[in-house]
Amino acid sequence: MAVAQRVATPHRKELIVVPYRRVSAAAMATNVVLILLGCFFVLPMLWMLFAAVDSNPDWAIKLPSLTLDNFKDVLARQDAIDSFKASVIVAGTTTVVTAILSVLAAYPLSRMHIPFKRSFMLAVLFCSGLPVSMLIVPVYQMYVYLGWLDSLYTTALFLAASSLPFAIWLMKNFIDAVPAELEHAAAIDGAGTVRILREIVLPLTLPGIAVTAIYTFINAWGAFIVPFVLTYSPENQTGPIEIYNFMGSHGLFKFGDLAVFSLLFSLPVVVLYLFMSRYFSGAFNFGGAVK
Amino acid sequence: MLSEVRFEGVHKIFGTETVVEDLNLTVKAGEFLVLVGPSGCGKTTTLRMLAGLERPSYGRVFIGDRLVNNVPPRNRDIAMVFQSYALYPHMNVYDNLAFGLRSRGASGSVVAQRVTETADVLGLGQLLKRKPSELSGGQRQRVALGRALIRQPQVFLMDEPLSNLDAGLRVQMRAELSRLHQRFAVTTVYVTHDQVEAMTMGDRIAVMNAGRLQQVDTPQTLYDSPANMFVAGFIGSPRMNFVPGRLGGAQGRRTVEFLGAQVPLTRGQDVTREPAEGRVIVGIRPEDLQWKQDAPAGDTVSVQATVDVVEPMGHEALVTAVCAGELLTSRFPPRSGVKTKDQVELALDPARLHLFDAESGEAILKRPPASGTKQASVGEARMDESA
Amino acid sequence: MAVAQGLGPRQDRTRFQWSSLVMLAPAVAVLGLLFVFPVVYAGYLGFTNLALVGSRSRDYTFTGLDNVTRMMGDYVFTNGAWLTILFVVGSAIVGQSVLGMLLALLLRNAHFSVRAVVGSVVIVAWVLPEITVALIWYAFSQAGGTLSILLHRPDTDFLVVVPMLIVSIANLWRNVAFSMLVFSAGLRNLPTEVLEAAEVEGASAFRRFRTVVLPLLKPTIVTNLLLVTILNLSEFTLIYAMTQGGPGNETMTLPLYVYQQAFVFHQLGYGTAISLVLVVIGAVFSLLFVRASRTQI
Repeated sequence: MAVAQRVATPHRKELIVVPYRRVSAAAMATNVVLILLGCFFVLPMLWMLFAAVDSNPDWAIKLPSLTLDNFKDVLARQDAIDSFKASVIVAGTTTVVTAILSVLAAYPLSRMHIPFKRSFMLAVLFCSGLPVSMLIVPVYQMYVYLGWLDSLYTTALFLAASSLPFAIWLMKNFIDAVPAELEHAAAIDGAGTVRILREIVLPLTLPGIAVTAIYTFINAWGAFIVPFVLTYSPENQTGPIEIYNFMGSHGLFKFGDLAVFSLLFSLPVVVLYLFMSRYFSGAFNFGGAVK
Repeated sequence: MLSEVRFEGVHKIFGTETVVEDLNLTVKAGEFLVLVGPSGCGKTTTLRMLAGLERPSYGRVFIGDRLVNNVPPRNRDIAMVFQSYALYPHMNVYDNLAFGLRSRGASGSVVAQRVTETADVLGLGQLLKRKPSELSGGQRQRVALGRALIRQPQVFLMDEPLSNLDAGLRVQMRAELSRLHQRFAVTTVYVTHDQVEAMTMGDRIAVMNAGRLQQVDTPQTLYDSPANMFVAGFIGSPRMNFVPGRLGGAQGRRTVEFLGAQVPLTRGQDVTREPAEGRVIVGIRPEDLQWKQDAPAGDTVSVQATVDVVEPMGHEALVTAVCAGELLTSRFPPRSGVKTKDQVELALDPARLHLFDAESGEAILKRPPASGTKQASVGEARMDESA
Repeated sequence: MAVAQGLGPRQDRTRFQWSSLVMLAPAVAVLGLLFVFPVVYAGYLGFTNLALVGSRSRDYTFTGLDNVTRMMGDYVFTNGAWLTILFVVGSAIVGQSVLGMLLALLLRNAHFSVRAVVGSVVIVAWVLPEITVALIWYAFSQAGGTLSILLHRPDTDFLVVVPMLIVSIANLWRNVAFSMLVFSAGLRNLPTEVLEAAEVEGASAFRRFRTVVLPLLKPTIVTNLLLVTILNLSEFTLIYAMTQGGPGNETMTLPLYVYQQAFVFHQLGYGTAISLVLVVIGAVFSLLFVRASRTQI
C-alpha cells in the first residue's frame, strides 16, 4: 500500500510526494460487499443499543431521545439485580470448579503413561458434543431424587460436569506444550512433585488455564436450558431466564428496561472476549492475524 | 566427595527393541568419561538411566557404593545439563541457579552466596536479572552449567550440551568445560555423537554402537588399538581405509596379502585369533598412507594407485586414489601438484597396519607397545568388557 | 531377542502411580456422577414410561419399544425430525459454512480498517449470550420491528409468517464467526507457492478457488462441517426463546420437542427417547463426515 512521503528538497520547501495508488475494482468490490455484510451484522445489535438509551423505545430501530432513565430503572429493580447475582454465582462456580478439575485431570493425562490414551481423548472430545437435551432429563430426575433442585450451586455443578470434557481436552493440549524436560530438570534439581507442579507447571500453563476458564465462563454465563429446568424460585433465576421472562410478558414491561438489561448482561462476556483476544494470540485474534 | 559410577549388566528394552544390551562400565571417581556413538546407539538412554529418568530393564546401577536403581532422580545427588538446556523460562537467571538449592531448603543467605560464586566462575554476574529468552545460546549454556555446578553433586551428567551452539562457540566451550573439570574434578559422564569432542575432552572414551559397548579406553589407545572395525572407523577423521585381505604364512612368519601386495607382519606382531579361511579386513589410517616421494625411508611397502579426487584442505590435501579396485584416502602435502588420473605410489608402514576378522570385525592383531605409550591403559581397558 | 537368561524379573514394568489417580479422581467423580451416569440412565429411561407427575412418576415400568412405536406414529415427532435436519443442513451446513468461507476469503483481501471492524462485529455476534441474540432478532422480526419497516410491511410478524426462516437466519447470524475463524486459519496455512503458481499460469480468481484452494482446504472444510453439525444439532435456546416451537409446531425441532414432552407434558420417558434419536442422528452425521474425510486425499 502506497504511502505519502515527505521529500526534503534543497530549496527548504518540503514537497509532499504521493505515489499514484491503483485501486483495483476487485478490491473495491471486496470492501463494499464486506461493509454491506457488516451492516447485516450490526443492524440487529443497533436496536438494543438505541432502545437502551431511548426514553420511548419501540420494536424498531429509531433515533433515540437520549436518556439514562432506563439504566436507572433497571439498576433499581430487585429482580434484575437478583438475576445478575444468580448468574455470577452460577457462572463463577462453574468456572472455578471446571478450571480446577480440568487442570488436575489434564496433567496425568498429559504426562503419564496410560493405556489407550488416544481413544480415551477422542471419547472425551466426542462427549463434549453430546446434546445437553439428552442429559437434562435424566439429570432432572436425579436432582429430584437427591433434592438438589433449585440450587444455584448444584446447577453450577452440572454445568461444570458438561463443560469438563472439552475443558480437559483444552488443558491437556496446553500442558502438552510445556516441555517435559523442564520437569525432569526440576526433578534432578531436587524438587518433589508438589514443588514441580506449583513452581514449574502451573506458571507455564497459566495462559492455558485462563483461556479455558474464560471459555467456560462465557458458556456458563449464557447457559439457558440448564438453569431453566433445574431452578424455579424467582431469586434463583439467572440472567438469560430473566430476559426470557421479560420477553414473554409482552407489553407489560418497558422495552427500554429490557434492552438495558440485556445490554448490561451481555457486557461481561464481550469484555472478556476482547481481553482474551488482546492477550492471547490464536484463533481469536482477528485484528492483525489474517494474512 | 567424588564418587565412581558403575553399570553392571544393564539392559534397557523398549517394547521389542533392545536399546542397551549388557552394559558393564565403570566410571572412575573424578574422571571425565565421554560416551560416544552414532544416533540410536543407546548412549542417551544410558545417561538417562544414570539420571533416574529411565529405569533399567535388567542390571544394576551404582553411584559410589549406593545401588540407585530405585532411587528417584532428586535423591541421587547428581546434576544434569540437557541438550536443550531446559532452563526455566519464567524465572530469571538468579532463580534458575537458585532453584535446586531452594528445593533442598537452603537458606536465603546460603543461596545468595553460592549463586554469586557460581555466577562469577561462569561470567554470569551481569546477567542474573535476565530471563532465558533474553540470553544468547552461549549464555544459556553457561546458566545450564551453573545450575549443575552450584549443587556440588557427586556426578555431572551432560547430554550433548554443545550441539546447539555454532562451531566457533563450540570450540570455545569445549575448552571451558575442560578447564572447569580441571578445577572442580567432579565425576562426569558426557554424551556426544561427535568424535572430535570425545577425543579432545575425555579422560577415557566409551564407544557404543547399537546398544553395545564397543570399547572403553583413553583417546590415544582407542586411536592406536581399536578393538573392532566399528571403533576403528568411528575414531579418527578422515576415516580409516578398509580393504579385504588374506592372512597366510606359517607360525612366526605370517603374511597378509592385500591390494596385490604381500606384506609380512613385523617382528612382535602376533595374531590373536585365526580368521575363517584366513579372510581379514586390513585397516590403514590415511595418515599412515603416504606419498612415496614424501615418505621417510624405511621398512615400507608400496602400492600403485590412480588418483580419483583431490581435496585441498590448506595445510594438507586429502587424496582419494584407486588401487586394485579399492578406494584409498591418504594425506598428501598441500602443494604436491598431484591431480586426477595421475599415477602415484603410496607407501605404508606395516607396523601401522590393523587387521580385523572379516566376519566378526574384531581386531586380531596384537602389536608390541609403541615406545612412549602408556601400556597401563591397555591393561586397564578391560577388553573383556566390550562386546 | 537374545536376552532373558538368568537376568531375573524386568525392573521397568510400568508402575502404577497413585499420584495420578489422586489428581484424576475429582474430575472422574464429577463426570461419572453427572455425565456418564445420566447418559447411561437416559439409555434406560428412553425405554420406559416414566412421567413427572401422577402415578407414572412412581410406578413406571420398562416398556420396551413402545416409545419407538409412538414416535413413528407421532406427527410432531416426524415433523420435528424433518425440521431439525432442515435446520442443520440449511442454517449450519450450508448457510454458516458458505457465509463463513465467503467472509474468510473477503476479509483476507480487505482494507485493514474494514477487516478490523467487520471482523470484530461478526465475532461480537458470536460472543453475545444466546438469549440476547434471541431478543434482538425477536425485536428485529416483530410486527413493527426493523425488518418489517425495511420491507414496508409494518404489520407482518415474520416470526409467525416464516418462523423457520427467521430462526435459521438468526442462528446463522450468530454462529458464522466460528466457521469464519476455522476457514481463516485454513486459508492462512495454505502453501502460497501453489497459489502463486496457479496465478502465474493465468488462472482466474474463481478458477483458482475452485481447482486449487478448495481441494487443499478439504480437510478444513470437513472438520468445519462436522463441528458445525454437532454444535447446531442440539440448538435449543435461540429457537425456544424466539418461538417456543410455534406457531403451532412450525419450529418444533427435536430439542424443543424433548423439552416439551419432558417438562410440559411431563413424559420423561418419551422425552428421553426422542433425545436418544437426536444422538443417533448426530452419530450418523459424524460417521458420514469421518467417512468422507477418509476417502479424500
